[in-house]
Amino acid sequence: MLRYILIRLATALPTLLGMSFVAFAIVSLAPGDPVMQELRAMGVVPRPEDIAAIKAEYGLDKPFFPRYFDWLGRALRFEFGESIATGRSVMDEIGIHLPSTLALAVSSFIGAVTISLGLGVAAISAGRWTRAGLRGLTIALVSVPSFWLALLLIYAFVLQLGWMRLVGNGSAPDLILPALTLSLGAGASLGRVVYERIRSEMCEDHVRLAIAKGLSPASILVGHIAPRIIGPLATAWANTFGALLGGAVIVESIFGWPGLGQLILQAIAQRDLPVIQAYLVFMGLGFFITSLLADIIVILFDPQLRREVNHE
Amino acid sequence: MSNKSTSIPALRLGFDVGRIGFFAGLVLLALIAALALSGIILNLPPPEKMDLLSRLASPSVAHPLGTDHLGRDVLSRMVAAIPVSMGAAMSAMAAILAISLPWGLVAGLAGGRVDMVMMRLADIIMAFPTLVLALAIIGFMGASLEASIIGVAAAWWPSNARLVRALVLSASARDFVRGARLGGASRLRVVFRHILPQILPPLAVIISLETASVLLALSSLSFLGIGAQPPTPEWGAMLNEARPFLVQAPHMLIVPGLAVTLSVLAFNLVGEGLRELLDKREPYEW
Repeated sequence: MLRYILIRLATALPTLLGMSFVAFAIVSLAPGDPVMQELRAMGVVPRPEDIAAIKAEYGLDKPFFPRYFDWLGRALRFEFGESIATGRSVMDEIGIHLPSTLALAVSSFIGAVTISLGLGVAAISAGRWTRAGLRGLTIALVSVPSFWLALLLIYAFVLQLGWMRLVGNGSAPDLILPALTLSLGAGASLGRVVYERIRSEMCEDHVRLAIAKGLSPASILVGHIAPRIIGPLATAWANTFGALLGGAVIVESIFGWPGLGQLILQAIAQRDLPVIQAYLVFMGLGFFITSLLADIIVILFDPQLRREVNHE
Repeated sequence: MSNKSTSIPALRLGFDVGRIGFFAGLVLLALIAALALSGIILNLPPPEKMDLLSRLASPSVAHPLGTDHLGRDVLSRMVAAIPVSMGAAMSAMAAILAISLPWGLVAGLAGGRVDMVMMRLADIIMAFPTLVLALAIIGFMGASLEASIIGVAAAWWPSNARLVRALVLSASARDFVRGARLGGASRLRVVFRHILPQILPPLAVIISLETASVLLALSSLSFLGIGAQPPTPEWGAMLNEARPFLVQAPHMLIVPGLAVTLSVLAFNLVGEGLRELLDKREPYEW
């Protein structure tokens, strides 16, 4: 198993390298001169030697590839320089905002998995009409934009009922509405996957045999169908987690949740390039780790793959 | 053959969720298209026309869906936003297909090293969460509707290419495709006569479902203020403008939100319904 993980990491190296290159290139090739912008932001009329000095400070006087390798060398040590907007180190900024985003993403993820299993299993085991109703509900939930859902929830729970407050301080009760918003949408689209997977397993002969043996639906679901769908579901879970990290940007900005989303929106508005680069690298890394975990789950639950991995 | 094959899905009688969903989606799309054209017939005020004396007015005879914070007619803005929002989603989807279809076809058919390199390149883009990469590209280009279309398309095409490749692989493994190749059919003929017809139906499902997601992503970006810029009428941007006026003017929140939801729903219904109609498997009942 360890061997497999090492091989998987080794084969991922080119992808990770490519990822870092994309993160660097997107930002460094951006039109507009960050130096001029910073000077203008400070209200200085730039003299040519000032410009040259600042360019040298940020290493901007060097050509593209040496700059990339410099940047990569520092990125490997998690040094992303200083935020142009605030002057604080980018890692400090990320350190402040990352825990909130992780808390939001993880709690919405748990909510989404619970909702999806509930919706999917209920739709499979219900009668024809309930099933049609549940599938209609799933499609409707998938179609509601998260920002609208968030505003509707605010209208109902904050403005009309007064059960929650909008300007929170990042404590646990303030997490409920944003997490609910994210998990309803993500849970519905995952529920669609759960339903599809269970349905396609139910067309297989081994399920027919289990039915013929007289097993109860519950034990067929748990004993025969669950082990076969956990692998594909794990992959879908990894994708959902990535989508939640991205979707968090919208929900954070509506609920004022102090996470990375706020940071990146500010950074985009102010063209704070070091922050954008670091954000891309961290999101990519987070997504990479989740996909790796998903791959390990796939192997653990697939006897054929497990045997291959152990005997190689 | 077992008697399972005698029930042809299209001829199944009675209640059929897939077919109802499919037609409901088509009807919704037709209604939206009709609404987009009705702007001229209904004689709506221009979407940019401000009437500062009737700001935030509730629905009335003069303004059937009320007015916004600048006294603009919400109905006419909602209608004027149809070609903007839908057009953005369609052009993003067209761009995604223009890259992913040839990419997936070539990778799937070439196989070997070409396939590996092409899929690795796609993996690099897929290493970022979709919306995150779109955000970065918009950061690169500066906020505008065009930038958000390009950002979404650039972040989206690899997953689509992967789906196309998977469809091509399973289509070209069929016996009659091998037979055609052994029978001396040219590569192009095999692709156009034997492989494309096989992947078109599942591709139609994918396109419909993904147009729904692209529409959602684009309106989210406009909502964040980094897509369509005011005063362009766009549903996401309209919702963004409605945020400070939640209490005084809930209609500003309801109308564009419903418009996005129903359009996304229409594409989802068509896609899901189509999938159900094409699905010939029958699960065993317990």
